[in-house]
Amino acid sequence: MVNLTIDGKEITVSKTATIYEAAKEAGIDIPVLCYAKKLLPYGACRVCLVEVEQMKGRLIPSCTTPVTEGMVVTTMSDEIQKVRKTVLEFLLVNHVIDCPVCDKGGECDLQDLTYEYEVVTNRFEGEKFDLPTDEVNPLIERNMNRCVLCGKCVRVCDEIVGYGSYSFINRGFETKIATAFDRGLNCEFCGQCVSMCPVGAILPRPFKFKARPWQIKEVDSVCSYCGNGCTITMGVKDNKVQTIRFNDKIGVNDGNLCIRGRFGYSYANSDDRLTTPLIKKDGELVEASWDEALEAVAEGFKKAAADKGVGIISGARLTNEELFLLKNVAKAIGTENLDHSGGECYKGVTEGLVETLGVKASTGTFPQVEDADVILSIRSDFYETHPVFGMVVNQAVKRNEAQLFIVADKKGKFGKLPNAETLLHKPALEVNVLNAMAQALIEDGSAVTDGVDGLDELKKSLADYAPEKVAAATGVPAEQIKAAAKALAGANKSAILLAYGLPYTAQSKEIAVAAANLAILSGNVDKEGSNLYLCGEKANSQGAIDLGVIPAGSGQGAQQMLDAAAAGSLSALYVVGEDMVTSYPDREKVEKALDGAGFVVAQDLFLSPTAQKADVVLPAASFAEKDGTFTNAERRIQRVHPGITSPGEAKTDYAIFELLANKLGAGLSYTGPAAVFAALANEVDAYKGVEFNAIGAQGVVWGGEELKAATKKVVPVKGAAAVDGKFVLLTGSALYHSGTVSTHAKGPVAVVPEAYVEFGSEDATVLQVADGDMIKIKANGAEVQLKAKVDKRLPQGVVFAPYHFAEAGLNKLYKGEAAIAVEVSK
Amino acid sequence: MKHPQLLFKNRIPGETVFFDGYRKSGGYEGLEKTIKSMSPAEVTELVKASGLCGRGGAGFPTGTKWSFFPSDQPGPKYLVCNCDEMEPGTYKDGVLLRTDPHQLIEGMIITAYALQTPEAYVFIRYAYEDCAQNLERAVAEAKEAGYLGKDILGSGFSCEIHVHRSAGRYICGEETALLSGLEGRRPNPRLKPPFPAVRGLFDRPTTVNNVETLANIQHIVTGGADWFKSLALTEEGAGTKLFGLSGHLEKTECFELPLGVTLDEIVNEHGGGVRGGKKFKACLPGGASTPYLAANHLDVPLDFTAITRAGSRLGTAGVTVFDEETCMVAVTLNLIRFFARESCGWCTPCRDGLPYVAWLLEQFEQGEATEEHLENLRGQFRNIAGRSFCALAEGAMGPVEGLFNCFEEELVDHIKKGRCPFK
Repeated sequence: MVNLTIDGKEITVSKTATIYEAAKEAGIDIPVLCYAKKLLPYGACRVCLVEVEQMKGRLIPSCTTPVTEGMVVTTMSDEIQKVRKTVLEFLLVNHVIDCPVCDKGGECDLQDLTYEYEVVTNRFEGEKFDLPTDEVNPLIERNMNRCVLCGKCVRVCDEIVGYGSYSFINRGFETKIATAFDRGLNCEFCGQCVSMCPVGAILPRPFKFKARPWQIKEVDSVCSYCGNGCTITMGVKDNKVQTIRFNDKIGVNDGNLCIRGRFGYSYANSDDRLTTPLIKKDGELVEASWDEALEAVAEGFKKAAADKGVGIISGARLTNEELFLLKNVAKAIGTENLDHSGGECYKGVTEGLVETLGVKASTGTFPQVEDADVILSIRSDFYETHPVFGMVVNQAVKRNEAQLFIVADKKGKFGKLPNAETLLHKPALEVNVLNAMAQALIEDGSAVTDGVDGLDELKKSLADYAPEKVAAATGVPAEQIKAAAKALAGANKSAILLAYGLPYTAQSKEIAVAAANLAILSGNVDKEGSNLYLCGEKANSQGAIDLGVIPAGSGQGAQQMLDAAAAGSLSALYVVGEDMVTSYPDREKVEKALDGAGFVVAQDLFLSPTAQKADVVLPAASFAEKDGTFTNAERRIQRVHPGITSPGEAKTDYAIFELLANKLGAGLSYTGPAAVFAALANEVDAYKGVEFNAIGAQGVVWGGEELKAATKKVVPVKGAAAVDGKFVLLTGSALYHSGTVSTHAKGPVAVVPEAYVEFGSEDATVLQVADGDMIKIKANGAEVQLKAKVDKRLPQGVVFAPYHFAEAGLNKLYKGEAAIAVEVSK
Repeated sequence: MKHPQLLFKNRIPGETVFFDGYRKSGGYEGLEKTIKSMSPAEVTELVKASGLCGRGGAGFPTGTKWSFFPSDQPGPKYLVCNCDEMEPGTYKDGVLLRTDPHQLIEGMIITAYALQTPEAYVFIRYAYEDCAQNLERAVAEAKEAGYLGKDILGSGFSCEIHVHRSAGRYICGEETALLSGLEGRRPNPRLKPPFPAVRGLFDRPTTVNNVETLANIQHIVTGGADWFKSLALTEEGAGTKLFGLSGHLEKTECFELPLGVTLDEIVNEHGGGVRGGKKFKACLPGGASTPYLAANHLDVPLDFTAITRAGSRLGTAGVTVFDEETCMVAVTLNLIRFFARESCGWCTPCRDGLPYVAWLLEQFEQGEATEEHLENLRGQFRNIAGRSFCALAEGAMGPVEGLFNCFEEELVDHIKKGRCPFK
């Protein structure tokens, strides 16, 4: 700690603090333009200059100067006032004064400082820039005439996002921020630059001319897309979410968001939203009242329950409270057939972890990853599935020089980082590589074996996975496997990241077990600050696991229900918040099941292909309309707050479940989400003691920052055989989308409007495929046509197609395999 | 007056001395002596004792700079030679490399030995292509002779020298900007601390020295610290200095003269007097970023200390002379335009302030200036110097400072007459 005096106030701060940070802590305001807490010190704008008694003769930039013992700082004097005013005059020389039409007006740092320092006239004259506005893309507008060259956009894109879209170009007065070759912006559109811009130079286009900042109501909530659980602050006006506001004060994401969080909110405002219940009459879905619809549902379920039974399949974007009520509805119906997310993607991984470590959740929290010195990311570079968590990984690697090993079937953005290596394996062979890493640790004697159960059997089974042997099968060099294993075991703090979700159903359990084996053998499980992370695809994937939205007793899981319904041995299906037809593996089976079940109820925001097959459709609410909690991939229970009311007659799932339960005669009588949470906390051990209204801005991490593994049991697990075929198709998440709901959001759709099939550049050259060519893909007796996209991520013979799009019908091709051989033709 | 020649002892105008000639004149004896009989720390101590100050402009004691270098830290470390000579009126490094390039190579190898840096770079601007080729040839010859490369003279010490042609701009002369440029980034200056000795090139410990500084090292090794110190004419100076003469002189050449030689001797003896028999009015004594010296300063000895007392800096010792018919406002405007153009655009005072100063000076030259402009100019000088991120803007204010120190009445005259009195 360091003691210093600022404006006569004696303060003690950490020795790594800058003068600016020390002043801020002491409640003393120093103006800044180019400073940002999460970026490296910069010191370019020069409005934060202060006087330091020990450094007389010049003014000191407070945002870059570290504090020293006994420093005496003055933050305001005539001299300082004059200099700051001059800097503002300089900035205003070439700045267009178009505040009346600038969206930033009212919350612009330059405007505020100009006002504060009373820069009424400008002594300086100079030319105004007249640069064209970059409006090539639909999401981010750049008006460089308003730029103050603080460089925050350049830095955030490089330091945090790891994309590097921007750079300074030219010199002197002509200096400006530009993209490569000064063309239109063409990037990942996460909008981090939008959030960092202190002026109106970079703005969200969908928000243009929508509202003045002071007309907006801010509502903090949690993003509804992935399991990252980012805080998003909705900017609400006219009962619409107009924008997502920058907020780095609360939550897990430090103000960082991806395109889904920043621009994907708009599905809540979509004109395609269902606004009234629908009942199928003469093969047509027609509008109905809630009373009619609920009556029909209750009647239908009662009848079905008495016949061959009812199956309930839910999504994982419902709140914890809603999932709990759904369980009650299941009880009211009298069915034990309850499951979520296809019954596969969560099941395998949780079973795998329970068998080995005795837990079914991440053992650590995200900030611990930033301190890790070795990170093993399985399945992807993590950016693609959980972008904001990916930004944490990026900082761990770039700033803290962590080593990153990516076990994946395609290359990713982070593979290019200086300390990163991709263990690029042939499709479907993750387990083989992980096993080989485990075997390498056993071979070189560095495996942690104290208190580990099942070692002998594991050793026997791993004999088949010598790195050299696995290298030949997977294409990952044995040396690389050994080096990664060695680094992981030698780490002071390690992090093992495993993403799961609907498109990754195959071998879920095997991968989880192999990862857990490795966590045990490398000492990850024992070391403080070392953790295994299980990251779900949906906003409340962890909540659904915690609450046990799974078949009870002799109940059927999702796939069994679908099989049963298809075979005519299940009388009704209740599908809540899932578009199974689009997103579940094996579309044919799903369609057969929906046709085979006598009575289908779909509860959704949109008339999805699944809802179209329903007998009754119940219009549900989006996250923006809900009160409740989500649990993210760190086990953090966070509050979701409603910002708007539902369109038309749409109701929250909470309200629908309550009404339905009452219709079924179960008489649920909770006074609201708080009461439901109290009831569920009573039933779910992990949530015991957590009080709904006491969940603060940072949420509550159940089980604490580090969850201790209950057991340390290594379990033999078999790898897979390579997929034979000239081309192998992978499916998965595209960076811009999440599940199917993002296909109704203007932002993600603007960037990736439709499905595509991605080729590596080598294959594209051989096949003479160019971007936009229509490609036929055949497998399992089905054929789909997709537009080609050529990139450099995929190895030869591997193609990739994202699974989010209904029309593409990708799930006609695959039936849940990790990868399939396909025929590819133009 | 004939002065002792070190750096220019082999100088034959129009010719370049390579390996054979250099060896004949005692070349690489300093290196042999260093490698065979001195420890790295002893070299640093010797350079410290010699009083050698950096020849790139700032005049920081070289031995002291080296003593900050963590030479025993494991892992990569770098020596970088700054040959991004781009200041108007400064051309001495180019002359040196066209004359006797092996001096730099030998100096760098000794320095690399002193600092224990196995890798060294010469950051040379693209406009010095001939010099870069000279250096490449010198590197190849030194390697061939075993003075450079692996296990130099059987000592176990290895060193590689890379000649890096930069796209170079004036800002690249700033050592941290140079390092950014050498890494392939935009040459923006970096925050100090951390200083390059702690985190420099590729985030590793790095020392950056000027060409002329490094070329002096082997002379210090062979001649000794006391001898080197005694070369200067003043007590405070040490060694000789390359003075690049330009402007309104009869002879505009580069001379090697002892530190402490008077301005009068430079102008009237070596420079052959002001061109056309006119009177001396002023000069930039050390390149474009140093405040002017006027006729009353002719007796000032040019070493790092004495010149500071006269209100200027020795800088690079590129002496640009102006005769009595020169408008100093116009000269200053010309210089400020250069600095404004060369600003990297990083910080506000430099990027936006320098064009404004240029605009103010234009008002004087166009006869449109008022008292208010004069006060604004004075204010700007205070607002920019000491407020910017790096030394570029501070240097740019040197001529403005000189203008106020020596020629304020000329500014006033512009206002009174409503025109440039020299036009």
